[in-house]
Amino acid sequence: MKEINKIVLKDAAKRLLFDMSEEEYDTLLNEFDVVIKQMELIGQIEGVDDYEPMTFPFDCATKYLRDDIPTKPLSKEEALRNAKNKSAGQIKLPKVVG
Amino acid sequence: MEFLDLTIRELHNELLKKTVTPLDLVKEAILRAKADNNNAFEYIMEKEALDLAIKLKEPEADNIFWGIPFVIKDNFSTKDVPTTASSNILNGYVPVFDATVVRKLMDAKAIPIAKTTLDELAMGGSGTTGHLGTTFNPYDKQHENIIGGSSCGSAASVAASIVPFALGSDTGDSVRKPASYAGLVGFKPTWGRISRLGLFPFATSLDHVGYFTRSVFDAALLLNLLAGRDLEDSTSSDVPVDDYTKLLNTDIKGVKIAIIKEIVDSIYDKSINAAFQKTIASLKIRGAKVEYVSIDRKLLGALFPTYVVISCAEATSNNANLDGIKFGPYHQGNTYEEVMNKARSKGFSELIKRRFVIGSFCLMRENQEVLFLRAQKVRKMIVEKVNDIFKDYDAIFLPASPTTAPKLGEASDRLSDEYLIADNHMVVGNFGGFPSITLPLGFKKNLPFGGNLTAKPFNEAKLLQIANVIEDITGFYNLSVRNKKI
Amino acid sequence: MNFEAVIGLEIHVEMKTRSKMFSSAPVEFGAEANTLVSPNDIAFPGTMPTVNKQAVINAIRVANALHMSIDNTLVFDRKNYFYSDLPKGYQITQNMRPIGREGYLEIKTDTLRTIAIERLHLEEDTCKQLHFSEYTLLDYNRSGVPLIEIVSKPDIRSGEEAMKYVEAIRSIVIYADVSDGKMEEGSLRCDVNISLRPIGIEKLGTKVEIKNLNSIANIQKAIDFEIRRQEGLLLTGNPIIQETRRFDEALKETITMRVKTDAVDYKYFIEPNISPINLSSDFINAAIASCPELAQVKEKRYLEVQGLSERDANIILQSKDLSKYYDDAAKHTNHFKSLANWVTGEVMAYLNKRNIPIENFFISPSQLGLLVNMIEKNEISNKQGRDIFQEMITNATTVKEAKEKLKIGTQINDDNVILTYVKDILDAFPDSIKDYKDGKDRAVGFLVGQVMKRSQGKVNPGLTSKLLLEELKKR
Repeated sequence: MKEINKIVLKDAAKRLLFDMSEEEYDTLLNEFDVVIKQMELIGQIEGVDDYEPMTFPFDCATKYLRDDIPTKPLSKEEALRNAKNKSAGQIKLPKVVG
Repeated sequence: MEFLDLTIRELHNELLKKTVTPLDLVKEAILRAKADNNNAFEYIMEKEALDLAIKLKEPEADNIFWGIPFVIKDNFSTKDVPTTASSNILNGYVPVFDATVVRKLMDAKAIPIAKTTLDELAMGGSGTTGHLGTTFNPYDKQHENIIGGSSCGSAASVAASIVPFALGSDTGDSVRKPASYAGLVGFKPTWGRISRLGLFPFATSLDHVGYFTRSVFDAALLLNLLAGRDLEDSTSSDVPVDDYTKLLNTDIKGVKIAIIKEIVDSIYDKSINAAFQKTIASLKIRGAKVEYVSIDRKLLGALFPTYVVISCAEATSNNANLDGIKFGPYHQGNTYEEVMNKARSKGFSELIKRRFVIGSFCLMRENQEVLFLRAQKVRKMIVEKVNDIFKDYDAIFLPASPTTAPKLGEASDRLSDEYLIADNHMVVGNFGGFPSITLPLGFKKNLPFGGNLTAKPFNEAKLLQIANVIEDITGFYNLSVRNKKI
Repeated sequence: MNFEAVIGLEIHVEMKTRSKMFSSAPVEFGAEANTLVSPNDIAFPGTMPTVNKQAVINAIRVANALHMSIDNTLVFDRKNYFYSDLPKGYQITQNMRPIGREGYLEIKTDTLRTIAIERLHLEEDTCKQLHFSEYTLLDYNRSGVPLIEIVSKPDIRSGEEAMKYVEAIRSIVIYADVSDGKMEEGSLRCDVNISLRPIGIEKLGTKVEIKNLNSIANIQKAIDFEIRRQEGLLLTGNPIIQETRRFDEALKETITMRVKTDAVDYKYFIEPNISPINLSSDFINAAIASCPELAQVKEKRYLEVQGLSERDANIILQSKDLSKYYDDAAKHTNHFKSLANWVTGEVMAYLNKRNIPIENFFISPSQLGLLVNMIEKNEISNKQGRDIFQEMITNATTVKEAKEKLKIGTQINDDNVILTYVKDILDAFPDSIKDYKDGKDRAVGFLVGQVMKRSQGKVNPGLTSKLLLEELKKR
């Protein structure tokens, strides 16, 4: 497991595309401390690693697949109504490079 | 006017008799909403509701929701009505489609009158973290006590009799916990029983649509309407929809109820324990078999961290679409990363960011095995254990919370060393998708507290049957601040 | 020191289903920006994915054509990252359980080689970005379009092999009716991973990625250049930098796009919004059976059963629609070589001249078959056949109508009847007999022409010629 320090956390926040203040990182370090301690306790539960990770609450496998029939899309106006920066019927961003 | 103090079923009868009209109801509900000082509302749909109410002239005898006003937690998509999930990152967002449950209710001519507050992005349990601040508990006029969360505004609306029912969502107990603090029936069915299309996702594998009512019967009626397969929700179940009122008011002789010893043992409040034991005794008199079962304390202690890891991880991914580009406030920048960064830095609260970092950390390649995947393994262990219990028992009954509504400031969303088994056990209902209901059990110092009943998947009729008996035992039918029976 | 190139290709195929992979918004090309968008495609909160059945069927067709084993449970994963063209902040894909695994493709350069294919999986496309000097515009029409990703093992050894591989994949997806397969339009995209190592050494060299290749020819050119470039560096003791490069068409060189830092961590986890989907063996078999005939199968039939030349077979197979036309016509005649001649000759000449696609060609396959039969049965001559052909396309008639209009009776094949004409003509043109005896072969042509004229073009010219020569020898 990755070591937890401010550098790692700052990098994680950066990759999530937001900034946090120094105090917030301090609070976060404390919270992590708690979470990691708790997860270590979990590691001590007998037989835990014999179990398969569970994504769904129960077996919900289905056969259903959607028929390939197109339905009416949003109008251009509806699709873009909530976007604040637009031009020529498209959403506008600063020039994307790379 | 007392009509809004009635249950759905009773109100329907009054509408049929024409002693009141939908327009009367909506006008009164809006008055009450505007007068509300518990900070329960994001947006009051005055014009929209009045427009709908005016059109309803002839009551429909076989449509119990005709003309009934209700409120919607602000993390459900409502067409042309602002929806913020109580987060600044969604200020000004106006959806172009309705959530399926909203559509179903409106098709049945029920009338939404407001969007209610929640903990930001539904990621909280105190009702204090939404961008409009704390939502208070109508049972406490001093505003010293919280109402819990994340469905705080919806709980407050029903407890204050502004409307007879409210939509909420339950990912870790976000309907069933505030229901306890607000003396309400708070219900969530089996995972996938009600479509989640249009519900802003917090943790997909744990999210459920839930709701508040003031009677078990009303909860059953709502389930009849809202349950069912939705082709647009790939996880919605095609198990046939039952008539969930069919077992109500039938006797529970021979019904087997389990109580998890370790959880009850971690509750120290005398009033709560007394009320709980009294209810058990009455259940036995009614013919139910009530027995204690055991779950390894270590496993129970793992409930909360398992929940934190899984929910934070899924939430981080589920909220990656919030970037200010397609919707929400836009901030200028030199690059697209700057644009997204500014939107997310300014739009998310401190708490949410911390949760996302935790979630992201749990999913990192080097950490997934011991954090995310292991939490998923623990989930499997717990669910298997509970399913074992359900082989021999029809339901599990427990106090919903170890205390009445905590005082503001007492409750903190900061993860702390003291995970309280008693405070978090209801998350089991989310891990295994089990149908689960909280209903009032008693009062302590004028603040209500509830009991929680859980059954195995798709056994809602049985669950509601037993809950109905408990409601009969306690007499806490149609409890509200205006109708309280202390 | 001799190096060998170790090349793996990642191909993305845009599927031409009617709706998108995870939403029911329409899939169309060339539509006005942002008019084919459902709430799901622009990632409004609360939207959820639903899986497109035809996309799954298409994936099974291609996986089967590539001899892959097909997973009978469909599970999806989230690939989490931020980019301007990714509305959800994650892409739904298949990381852990691709629908197709462990297949192969045979390609022919100067040898027959088998290229192993590691995986084939389903995923969704991103939105389209239009770059201007100061800003970028986003069009969500493409967001959510179904994609198949095919990843080969690094078995490819040259630019030529890469080209053959891509051509083979393209042929499969076109003939399987899964995609238009047009690299220039972006419905087929190819990324190259290439490293060099000394021959005989197992350890892989530093890998370079080449992206944004827009034609099959450029794939070969880019690889050829890159091999030389890397060889040059290695021979002079310089390291290969791990990076992503693009191919500059004008310079005919690969150029650095960005240097790779650490591999990106996509934090994959199972998509919890899609319940696992069980694909019954009936479903899988039906999907396989629904696949239209692939070019490879047709080619075998053309060469081995119908006896067509490789040239004719290649021309016909160049276009799926043309091969369909040919196959339909071949149901109405057994004279395959002749039919192939007509299709690759007269028909294509006409189509090319008028720039018309075969779907709009007036003469139906059955009519062409009928025409070929008439010629091969000697009911009409080749020239008469061409006249009928022209009449049909000019005036939109059937074979029968054209034949009647042009007064083309049944060709005379009776020796006795022709001999009568021949004798008459020889009697009428004694000078021509003399010319022939003097060695002027042109006289034969003249005499045959006269017989044709006398018989209103009805005599079989070949037979006439033969009988004429025999008669001339007697005189």
